[in-house]
Amino acid sequence: MSEIRIYRRPMAARWWARNPTYRRYMAREASSFLLFAYALTLIYGLWRLGQGQAAYDGWLTWLASTPALLLHLLMLIAMVVHAVTWFEVAPKTMPKTGLPERAITLGGIAAAALGSLFVVALAIWWGAWR
Amino acid sequence: MKRSNEPFFWLLFGAGGMVAALIGAGLVLVTGLLGPVNLIVPGRAIDYAHAHAFAAHPLGKLALFGVIALILWHSVHRMGEVLHDAAHIGAAVPLRIVALLATLALGWILLAI
Repeated sequence: MSEIRIYRRPMAARWWARNPTYRRYMAREASSFLLFAYALTLIYGLWRLGQGQAAYDGWLTWLASTPALLLHLLMLIAMVVHAVTWFEVAPKTMPKTGLPERAITLGGIAAAALGSLFVVALAIWWGAWR
Repeated sequence: MKRSNEPFFWLLFGAGGMVAALIGAGLVLVTGLLGPVNLIVPGRAIDYAHAHAFAAHPLGKLALFGVIALILWHSVHRMGEVLHDAAHIGAAVPLRIVALLATLALGWILLAI
């Protein structure tokens, strides 16, 4: 009796590297690793916050260090890649509105820019006047 | 037919993706770049007194929990997909367990502040 042999279509390990569309797809999906790292970073910071001022001040010192700033720069790039690609895909994933796809994408990116600007403005107010 | 639980995880993925898209860049700027170096955003905004006051308020806790948990669940969903597509690794379930544990830890940490 022969073994059951399942046909497996051959696939190159870096199949996505050859085609620009697939590279874009991979950049979009890879941004999720930095988003994940950012969520864990915030949870760790809150944990230090709960341990008192000395622990939290140590955390702030780390945040101002070069490796931490570089890491957050990468996270910022990932967030921007995420926002742009999110609204590029949105017209294809959301219910049809009749609006042109380009309008949804540009509107979404504008909303993202305003949303982030709002967060920064809120933080300036929170730090300067409260 | 057994009901699929995928729509639930997809809802978290979608909500988290929207939150990250709309305010993610601003959050990273405040907590990781401008705040720590005291540029544009005053360092005072994230010092101990301000961070503690924010996280001690019930609405602050709710906002922190919602935003961080959603970004977390969004990212593990995508990581599961990209590991499957790029490396042929099936990690969706372990990643969901990680996200669940991190969500529980986040809730516990916030309630303790």
